[in-house]
Formats: sequence, C-alpha cells, structure tokens
Amino acid sequence: MSLPTNHTDDRTLLSIRGLVKSFRLHAVGGRVVRGLVGVDLDLFEGDHLALAGRSGAGKSSLIKCVHRTYVADEGSITYRAASGERIDLLAMSDSDVADLRAREIGYVSQFLRAAPRRPVLDVVAMEARRVGVDPDAADDLAAEVLRRVNIGSELFSTFPSLLSGGEKQRVNLAAGIVVAPRLLLLDEPVSALDPANRESVLDVIAELTSRGSTVLSIFHDLDAMRRLADRVASMADGAIVGLGAPDEILEPAPV
Amino acid sequence: MTVTSTPPHAAAEPLVNGVGDTSTEPTASAIAPWSITVESLGRVYGPGGADAVPGTGPEFGTSVSPTTGAVVGCWGIDLAVAPGEALGIIGESGSGKSTLMRCIAGDQKTSAGSVHLASCDDGATDILHLDPSARRQLRIDQLAVVYQDPAEGLDLHVTAGGNVADRLTAAGWRHFGRIRERAAELLARTEVPLERMDDPVATFSGGMRQRVQLAKALANRPPVLLLDEPTTGLDASVAAGVLDLIRDLLDETGVAAIVVSHDFNVIEMLTRRCVVMHHGRVVEEGLTDQLLEDPQHPYSQRLVGAARG
Repeated sequence: MSLPTNHTDDRTLLSIRGLVKSFRLHAVGGRVVRGLVGVDLDLFEGDHLALAGRSGAGKSSLIKCVHRTYVADEGSITYRAASGERIDLLAMSDSDVADLRAREIGYVSQFLRAAPRRPVLDVVAMEARRVGVDPDAADDLAAEVLRRVNIGSELFSTFPSLLSGGEKQRVNLAAGIVVAPRLLLLDEPVSALDPANRESVLDVIAELTSRGSTVLSIFHDLDAMRRLADRVASMADGAIVGLGAPDEILEPAPV
Repeated sequence: MTVTSTPPHAAAEPLVNGVGDTSTEPTASAIAPWSITVESLGRVYGPGGADAVPGTGPEFGTSVSPTTGAVVGCWGIDLAVAPGEALGIIGESGSGKSTLMRCIAGDQKTSAGSVHLASCDDGATDILHLDPSARRQLRIDQLAVVYQDPAEGLDLHVTAGGNVADRLTAAGWRHFGRIRERAAELLARTEVPLERMDDPVATFSGGMRQRVQLAKALANRPPVLLLDEPTTGLDASVAAGVLDLIRDLLDETGVAAIVVSHDFNVIEMLTRRCVVMHHGRVVEEGLTDQLLEDPQHPYSQRLVGAARG
C-alpha cells in the first residue's frame, strides 16, 4: 500500500483518477443510478478547490467518495498523508480510514450530528481533546472558534438540540475546524446562515488554508466560491467539465 | 493462563483510583492492534452441527436447516476490535446478533470458531476452550457485559453499592473502606445518586439500573466491553441520557466495545464501524456512516430504508 515518496517539491495532496460511482437500488429491481462517470482531479497542498454545478451533478458524491462515506466502483484516490506516505484511500481498510479521519481528514456537512445532551462548548472542545490537546486548552480553543462564528458564551452550556438551524450549522463547522484538519471536506457548510453570520463564517473558512488545511468544498452560492476558492471545478452529469480560476469558470457576478 | 497486569487503556482515565496502577504504556500484544478477535464463530441450535448449515443463510432466506431442522443462530462470523474502538452489530430481531454476543461472552456454548483477547496470554489462548472457572474469571476484569435486562447483569436484591463491590471483591479487593470508596466513585461517574447507593437495585428505575450495570461492568477496567441493546426498552429521554453516558465512558476508558442494537441511532452515536447481520450471517461490514448512507447489500438497503424512510 505504501509507495516511496518522490518529488519533495510535489505539492499534490490528493490525486483522483478514473473515479466511477453508481448506486444500485435493490428495492426497485436493481436499477442503477449513475453518480460519477470517471473523475480525474488533483488537489494541491494549501489549495481551496470548490466544486460547482447543478444539484445532481455529482459534487456531493465526489466529496463522499473521498471521505469513504460512499463506496466507489472504480478508480483511485491517492492521498499524501502527513507521514509522507502515499495511500490509495479506496484500498484502505475501514479501521485505517477511521484512524485517518480522526487524525487528518475532516468532513463538515450542512447538518450537525452531535450527542443530544452534550453542551455546545464540549461538542467543539472534544474534537481538540481527541487529538491530544489538554482539556483546559481545548476549552479555550473551542471558545475562541465559537466566538469567531458568532456563537456567544451564553450558548456554551446549552445542548445543541435546543439551537436554531443556523446556530447548529455554525457549531458543526466550529467542531470540524477547531483543529484544522490536513484535508477538509466542506459540503454546503453555510446553507442555513443569514448574511451577517455567513460573512463571519466565510472569513473563518478563508483562514483555514493559511492554518495548513487543504480544502475541497461545495457552496451553493457563487459569491462564496469567488471569495474562497483558488480554483473551481465545474461538474455536470457526474463528470468534471471545466477547471480553472473562479473568474474563468463561474458566471460573471450580477451587477 | 497469564494475564497482563494492566489493560491497554489504563492510562489517565478518571475511573481509575490508582490502586496498583503504575503503567502508562499500552500493553504490547501478539494480536495487536486488536483487543479482541472473533474467528469463524458459529452456533447451531439442534442436531447436525456444521452439517446443518448448508441451505441456511440470507441467500436461502432462512436460518432453519432443511436437512436437520436445526436453527443456525449464527455462522462464520469474523470480527476484530481495536482498543478505543466501538464496533456495532445491527440487524432485526432473530438475525443472530444476540446469539453472537452471548457466544462471545460465554453465556452460550459455541458450535464452531474461536475468540482471542489481547489481554489473555497475549492473544495466544482461544478463550472458548478455557475451563468454566477460568472462563468466569475472565468476566471479572477482562471481558465485561452490559445486558438489555439488568436482571442478567445485576443481583436486583442487592444494593447498588453491593453489586459493584461484588465485582471488586472478585478481583481481589479486600479493604472494606477502599471498596466502598471505589464503588461510590464508580456510581458517581455513572450518575447514580449516592444517597441511593445502599438501596436494593430492585427499587431503581430502568435507566438507573443500566447505570448501575455500567458501573459494575467497568469496575475493574476491563479492556473489552460487550453492550447488548443497552438502551432498548427505556423511555426515549432516559435512553438518550444512558446513551450519552456510554459514549462518554467509551471515550474516557479507551475500552474496546462491541455494541449490539437494532437501533441505528444507537449504532450511529457509539460506533465508527459496524456489521449488518441477517439470518445468522454478516451480510455487510463497513464504516458506520457508509452503511447508513450507501448500504450495498439488498438487506442492508432494506433495513436502512425502513429505519430512515
């Protein structure tokens, strides 16, 4: 599984080749739905690459195949781990994937999945404790990132189940980035936010690449992509149909 | 049988009171990185043994042997769980998940297969072939079980403190004051009000009984914990509290856990990996989020579809 590292100047963090994903629906006579039809894509260290395209184009499928939430049919996803080792994520054991997720690969969806009775501050702090930050420092880090996404300290001891949709989404993001993961997968992390909170959150996401994260993202609004992405990959019908700087790929901003 | 002096997770966890505990390094083991491995485990109820197996399983849609009429409770089960990891076993009633759990725990005889613990002879001994007294000994400090029915894990006529003290005494604790102190500490950690410590467990609510079971199960810091439908039958709000506690305990203790449940919420909250059982066989295994979002086997798809709509 491990190949020797070459090219010390090679900034490729993630290399996706020939990725095919389909869904076989046994409940409807084994009907096959196409998800991805052969995706090639490279992600460079410190890059923020946003996926654009209509709903159903395959953006979430691609992110979920990288996270191994979806089982890909064919292809390879080569990831350069912090150890320098190059790993095909699709060939790793479930246990190894779980370990890698805990150490290096973060995934933030639009929905918060937290224990119902864990206070907000703890939901975020436990992510820092999990990687060895001592409890007091973890609480401090959690408080700081929560404030950055406009969750005030009056909510720190509240249970997430009592929060609004927008607040939950910000807590979820805070938990996902309190320790900047080496590779961060963002799946519509600002979909439920009002404009003011959205601005704060986009600022925080913008800083992630300078904190050492490489980001693969999905945003439904073009403005967020223009602001955050170094490159945009445009998707349609399960394939990448365009790749370049945001201005080259995205429609011009409305005047 | 030699037993390693310190379970791999013993370092820096609040349930420890420090007695006889000096090691902070994980214990090396012949079967590392696994705390427990299960190989080709099978249990057949009725005549025929392995001969009853052909013609049963998911592809035949039955657990009943067409030749001998025996029921194949589970067959050909392979599992491995690492320290600090929780593995889920999910399936409908009758899928064989509780049979499997009881075979691993030693509550039931097995028809085939082996089970190894890293803490037992560095993984060299098949614990299914230990004599009954050695087998019982394992349950004191190496392989603990929390049952759906607290009456199986506790003596309901004995006090909460007494139930926990039993397990400590079995592990060689002798000093009354220290036993009581440790029992109080464990019950406090599992959120049992200390003023109830000297009440018989029979006077406790269902949720409180599960908390006492957890305190007892974890009393001697076992490296492996089996949880069999630990929140089934509790009111939703009580179940949520017990589930939260279990999750915290798994995080804190670094125990290797196997969680049996028919409830996806329980599996999702507690485990990173899980297996799906149907007609006594594992039909799919994977990361828990993968099994919930992209199940591959027709039966898994049906099960997830029914639960998630």
